[in-house]
Amino acid sequence: MGKIVTIHSSRGGTGKSLISVNTAAVLANKGKNVCLLDLDFRAPTMYVVFKLSTEYWLNNFLNRDCEIENVLYDLTQRYNTKGKFLVGLADPSMLAIREVSMKDRKWEMKALQRLLSLRKLFEERKIDYIIFDTSPGIQYASVNAVVSSDTVVVVTTMDALDIQGTRSMIEDLYEAFGKKTGILLNKVLLPYSVPSLSPLTEVDRESLSKQLKETFGIPILGMIPCYCDVLRTSRTVILAFQNPEHPFTKDIGKFVEALEEA
Amino acid sequence: MFTMGRLVAETLSRKNISKTLLELSKNLETLTSKVDLILASQKKTVPLRSVEEKTAKNEISFEALDVMTLLSLPDHLRKTAVTICALRSATAADVARETGRARAVESNYLNQLVTMKHIQRERKGKKVYFYVSK
Repeated sequence: MGKIVTIHSSRGGTGKSLISVNTAAVLANKGKNVCLLDLDFRAPTMYVVFKLSTEYWLNNFLNRDCEIENVLYDLTQRYNTKGKFLVGLADPSMLAIREVSMKDRKWEMKALQRLLSLRKLFEERKIDYIIFDTSPGIQYASVNAVVSSDTVVVVTTMDALDIQGTRSMIEDLYEAFGKKTGILLNKVLLPYSVPSLSPLTEVDRESLSKQLKETFGIPILGMIPCYCDVLRTSRTVILAFQNPEHPFTKDIGKFVEALEEA
Repeated sequence: MFTMGRLVAETLSRKNISKTLLELSKNLETLTSKVDLILASQKKTVPLRSVEEKTAKNEISFEALDVMTLLSLPDHLRKTAVTICALRSATAADVARETGRARAVESNYLNQLVTMKHIQRERKGKKVYFYVSK
């Protein structure tokens, strides 16, 4: 049986989308059949990454205008992945963003049922992983994603506000729905270190992991240092495909291993 | 019977009889207060059968079971509500299989959700199906 993973965070700018795309890419490169869905309807980014012109968006699927098959793009050949690499995009037009923010509770309830129905992809398309990239905080689309998933990965930086927000999300949201949750610490800054030259040592990782486990009370699935060159790289570059030897890709690889075991 | 009764009465000492009578009266008091509670709660809640009938006639507007409503539910009901959302239409036994709780417990929680107007109930033959309102 496959697994639905939601990549979420309490605040914006933690690197959720970058991590979602590269996690899906690493899994597909490992031979897993992956379906990556952009559920960040307020600030869609995947259309920039994959540069696809599409007739149907995930918005249409949630609106019941079409089926999931009409939304999914098979990019297996484009990236030459071992496993299937399917992508579903959110509509980036201003009209669609406005429309989503005006939906009522009944629509959101039906949207939740549509997301829950995606489990059929495990059987029908032999999908191993469905990855939801979400909007930050407690918003309908992201809470719908959390409820529909098996595992939630909370991406946080070391910023105090981020850590505080993550803590309350764990207590008020993920625990409320009894979700298996793990933390991915991103953009880790170490004093006096240039991450690209001196990556996180095992000692650094262990001591940081211990501290964080005490703070959050849930497992730490990964730690990614702040790589300046990654921040400078264009959104269209998927490092997991284009630079498998980059330390960032290696860190995502370690995170994926932890995710598979979670 | 009379001999038997007399025999029992003779066997029991006066002390024992008064103790038993005291216990009996205590139990009766508890029972009375419980019946009072049941009667009081029946006045407050709408009977399930009436909810079902009114639903069929579209006389009851149902509360959407969206994620924010799910978050506001107590933990035990939230688990049942999320399960019924995923299954769409299910019996108490189906829900119990998913949650790992007893069927009777789930039946109780599902009926509470019906009373709260979050889900609907329909009898099909011998089985009762619960579903999220359309």
